[in-house]
Amino acid sequence: MTETRRGRLLAGVLPGVPQLLEGRWGAGLFALVAWALGLWTLLVRWERVSGLPYESPGEWVALAALVAAILGPWLWSVRGGRLRAAERGDGQWALTLRAFGRNRLALAGMVAIGLFYMVAVLTPFLAPYDPVHQGDLASQRFLGPSAAHPLGTDQFARDVLSRLLYGARVSLSIGFIAVGISVTLGTLIGAVAGYLGGRTDSVIMRFVDMVIAFPRLVLLITVIALFEPSIFLIVAVLGLTQWPYVSRIVRGEVLSLREREFVQAARALGYSRRRVILRHIVPNAMAPVIVAATLGIGNTIVLEAGLSFLGLGIQPPDPSWGSMVENGRDVLLRAWWISTFPGLAIVLTVLSFNLVGDGLRDALDPRQAGRR
Amino acid sequence: MTRYLARRLLGAIPLVLGVATILFFIVNLAPGDPALVYARPGMDAATMEQIRANFGLDRPIHVRYGRWLASLARGDLGYSFARNRPVTELIAEILPNTLILAGVAFGIAFLVGIVLGVIQAVRQYSALDSILSVLALFFYSMPSFWLALMMILVFSLFARNVWEWPIWFPASGMTSIDYEFLGGWERLADRARHLFLPAMSLALVLSAGIARYMRASMLEVIRQDYIRTARAKGLPARSVVFKHALRNALIPVATLLGLYLPFLFSGTVFIETVFSWPGMGKLVVDAINQRDYPVVLGGSLIFATMVVVGNLLADILYAVIDPRVRYD
Amino acid sequence: MSHRAKATASLVALCLPACGSDQAAPTAAADAFCAEAMAAVESFTSQLPEPTGERYGGTAVAASYGPLAGGMNSLTAPDYSARQHHAFVNLMPLVRYDQELEFAPYLAQSWELSEDGGLTFHLRDDVLWHDGKKTTAYDVEFTYRRAADPATQFPNPNYWAKYAPGADAVTVVDSFTVRFQLEPHLDYLDAWTSTAIMPAHLLANVPPAELAQHPFNTRCPVGNGPFVFVEHRQDDRWIFRRNPAFPAGLGGPPYLDRYVYRIVLDQSTLLAELLTENVDFYSAPDPDQSGSIVEAEHLDLRSFPFRQYTSVVWNGRKPQLADRRVRTALTMGVDRGEIIDVLLQGYGETANSSVPSFHWAFDPTSATEMPYDPDGARRLLEEAGWSDRDGDGVRENEAGDRLAVTVASNQGNAVRADLAQLVQASLSQIGVEVQTRILEYQTMLSTVLDPEARDFEGVVWGWVNDFRIDDTDLFHSRAVDGPYALSGTVNPELDGLLDTLQLIVDRDEARPYWHRYQRALMEEQPYSFLYFNHRLVGLNRRLQDVEVDVRGEWVNVGSWWIPGDLRKYGSGGDR
Repeated sequence: MTETRRGRLLAGVLPGVPQLLEGRWGAGLFALVAWALGLWTLLVRWERVSGLPYESPGEWVALAALVAAILGPWLWSVRGGRLRAAERGDGQWALTLRAFGRNRLALAGMVAIGLFYMVAVLTPFLAPYDPVHQGDLASQRFLGPSAAHPLGTDQFARDVLSRLLYGARVSLSIGFIAVGISVTLGTLIGAVAGYLGGRTDSVIMRFVDMVIAFPRLVLLITVIALFEPSIFLIVAVLGLTQWPYVSRIVRGEVLSLREREFVQAARALGYSRRRVILRHIVPNAMAPVIVAATLGIGNTIVLEAGLSFLGLGIQPPDPSWGSMVENGRDVLLRAWWISTFPGLAIVLTVLSFNLVGDGLRDALDPRQAGRR
Repeated sequence: MTRYLARRLLGAIPLVLGVATILFFIVNLAPGDPALVYARPGMDAATMEQIRANFGLDRPIHVRYGRWLASLARGDLGYSFARNRPVTELIAEILPNTLILAGVAFGIAFLVGIVLGVIQAVRQYSALDSILSVLALFFYSMPSFWLALMMILVFSLFARNVWEWPIWFPASGMTSIDYEFLGGWERLADRARHLFLPAMSLALVLSAGIARYMRASMLEVIRQDYIRTARAKGLPARSVVFKHALRNALIPVATLLGLYLPFLFSGTVFIETVFSWPGMGKLVVDAINQRDYPVVLGGSLIFATMVVVGNLLADILYAVIDPRVRYD
Repeated sequence: MSHRAKATASLVALCLPACGSDQAAPTAAADAFCAEAMAAVESFTSQLPEPTGERYGGTAVAASYGPLAGGMNSLTAPDYSARQHHAFVNLMPLVRYDQELEFAPYLAQSWELSEDGGLTFHLRDDVLWHDGKKTTAYDVEFTYRRAADPATQFPNPNYWAKYAPGADAVTVVDSFTVRFQLEPHLDYLDAWTSTAIMPAHLLANVPPAELAQHPFNTRCPVGNGPFVFVEHRQDDRWIFRRNPAFPAGLGGPPYLDRYVYRIVLDQSTLLAELLTENVDFYSAPDPDQSGSIVEAEHLDLRSFPFRQYTSVVWNGRKPQLADRRVRTALTMGVDRGEIIDVLLQGYGETANSSVPSFHWAFDPTSATEMPYDPDGARRLLEEAGWSDRDGDGVRENEAGDRLAVTVASNQGNAVRADLAQLVQASLSQIGVEVQTRILEYQTMLSTVLDPEARDFEGVVWGWVNDFRIDDTDLFHSRAVDGPYALSGTVNPELDGLLDTLQLIVDRDEARPYWHRYQRALMEEQPYSFLYFNHRLVGLNRRLQDVEVDVRGEWVNVGSWWIPGDLRKYGSGGDR
């Protein structure tokens, strides 16, 4: 009893710490850092928080995120700090979550990703300068890291830290949205093919084979040439070229699910095909898709960087990590900071996604339920 | 088996043709005019028309498509607009370069990946397992052009000019300037020295994926009954792992060889560009930028064929390694 | 089966490193042509005595990112570096420029222009093709006939605009004398400095439309210049060796045993190769890389003024850009000195017209005109009726239209994209809203050059001049519907000057008109001329007596030499 009360008291002051002490350091650390970041933003960057015009949706989202970052961890921690889904029941998701929770690397990746996204959302408060603002070109170009510019300035006397932060918004959302598109499309097509079977299946799968045999870079470059390059276009193309892999996975799952009793039962009850596919089959086929999606986000971020290298990625002056790396490449020997920091950001983010993806895969695979 | 192969290959023809046809129309309908590369003040409209005629671009698209198909049937891929050479000749000169690079990189990647995977599986959940998987993923997570650049900085520039290592590696090219004057073994060494950086950059990226598969596959095998039996019989752990488990765990990994084959083409674009390796990926990307349609199409045909062959190879490898699988 | 497959696989693996350079056979005819041509070169050059002397020997490695597209065929290759190799390495033009940019003898030892427009060249009689045949007047005739034939797709058909039409234009007087019939015009010899003479005995039978694709260009060129072609590996390198038969009267055989041009696609890699001494001569490094080259002890950075100018082309057909006061303000509102410092690291000079400062026609008084003057620019805009009426920082005219322009640049060219950003930042200071727009290169060419489309307001553009400057297609009202009239300029004064300029033969007589032309361009402001960039060369100090100047970086490749103790590349390569 006293134990709990002391825990609550501690949680009230330092959310996440009781969980940390319990050894649940994934959730605890995330709560603590998120809360601290929120509080720091509010206190240290108060001028920004109060001074923004709040005209763009991004600024409102940032404000909402700030509130959530401060209140969320606190409330959660004070009220006991449980992940109910993980602790109750023995459904597939609960089992998975528990298995995932035992994988420290994956948890670390998860925490890192959460923080990356939080920082990206809070960018309007955090970034010290306007990312496209050019400083005094005569005196402020190629400045090394210093107090005024923690990560230095680039060839246009722009602040690298600010560009890195704004670039995070671009790079992180590119991965998310592109994978969203490919997963949605791929799941639907794969589910339809697998469920209907027969001729429909073979026609669809021939088409999928063809899309896979398509040299993706050729397609990307051509489409980007056809239209003016924009963030939206790049995201769409990245998403629209990735779905066949998802389709193959989903189709395989569906083929095996189709013959299972609960699906047979749903069919016997006379539910429409649509309902059977969407309500009964797809949710049960999602596990491998989630793994693929997690890994896909990382791949997309790397691919965008590759496109930037070919001069086809996000176009200036908008910063993306890929284009920042590419732009700083020529002056690497003189001003290493311009491309090294965005390069590290890419590696850390993608690494985190891959760790989470691997963790999920292990967690979802009953055959690999380890000894621990 | 032969019949199975024949059926698969025949089935692949419409696939490859379909890819080529769609691409033909996409690249031909994309905005841009290859003749414009030659345009400069003083060149009148008649000359521009002549250039288009020399390229065969003055005909309507369906006629061009028909001609392209007809010459394809003869094994002729046309002339490159930008490089002014027959495409078949270009590809014959360039493709082996890509094959060398990718072949060596594959070799290294599979070796490294398998070793990593086995170590991780045997020491599952140990600190070593974690360190190795983070390390492998670290390279896997790098944009490959960035990794390549770092390799050049470390193993070429700094190794030679700053740290003065006895061994450093050239940053570009396939052979030294005096390659023609070297003896047989020196030539091999020279090629190896030039291959080192590009092949390692490519292999580091690939091996993470292979290690991941290998680890999973090994874990699964280790848990199977016959391994337990072998262990129970008191066979030494080392022999169990290497004689029994490894052989069976390699089966799914071998299929990766086929599935990664298309990577030869797309994955090498960045590596080839950074290390100036005269290969297919770079050739085709250049060709797209220059609207060099015949080269784009020729390169894409090769790519599509590789995907098909890769899939086939995966199936065959499966059959060769695993005697239980039978194709009729 | 599986065993055999394994055996084959391992054979392939063994073969890969060693057999890679083998090339599959293309068409038999091309093979036969090349085999014969190369055999002839080999059998002729191998029996020639090699020169001896302290300076003779060694291999120099030049590198750049251009693949010498089009190869060693001056009739079809448009690429700058390729044409440099025609003129100075593998082939020979009739005439060359000396250091003062006056015409000097080369393949032609003298020439005269008669009153009636007969231009007679007297050729040297000691120049041999690398297969031993003499270079004669018939080669010159062949070169002209092909270059003037539209089917050949010669890159500068304008050269022959004032030549007599048809077959009458050229007559072979005797084996070493050739006569052209033409209307005398300004710098009439210029065309013959960059059109290297091609071998008629090898190519006369090739239909003109097939010249561009002939195996001669990239697989077996036979030249007559100081260096003999040895080998070309696509996208990798061109190898040349000394021509021992190069005439003593032109400096004799070059000092270098071999000259290799390597293609290195990536500039960062190229810099690393220069720094690690794998490359001796890096043509055209990025200005951002100049610092690293200057700092390295074993390297030298050279720069020379180049014929390329970069500008923002304004499409005068658009209503907001039709007023020359607006265009003038747009130029005055851009700090061009700062752009040169930031983007070119100072390696460039402000441009006020298409005439570069090294050119004989340049008006030195124009150099200091149009300094950065935001206040002057604001005044001009006010005068033209553009003022900020609603206080949003952007000017409007009386009708309420905002003074907004979109400036396009091409994808993949970082300098141009950066330039557009700098222009955007500067012009916002004088109340002009600039949107930047990045287009894929080919798409941009279509957008800008297609007279039907032409849907742009401003575009960052670079033109490379010849030494004979002719802006007729750019600014003459006659060409306003042609592809190159980007600005849509219609200006009677410019028309008159452009017509006159090309007809005066004497430079001194022409100079005042050229000065007036530059004035007129400055008043018209069809473009915001920004800068002439310098071209840079990174050079290893072991390479001696390299001269680079406005004529190009390979201008004296025959005189490059390497001291004996600094020669690399062991046995045979560097003896």
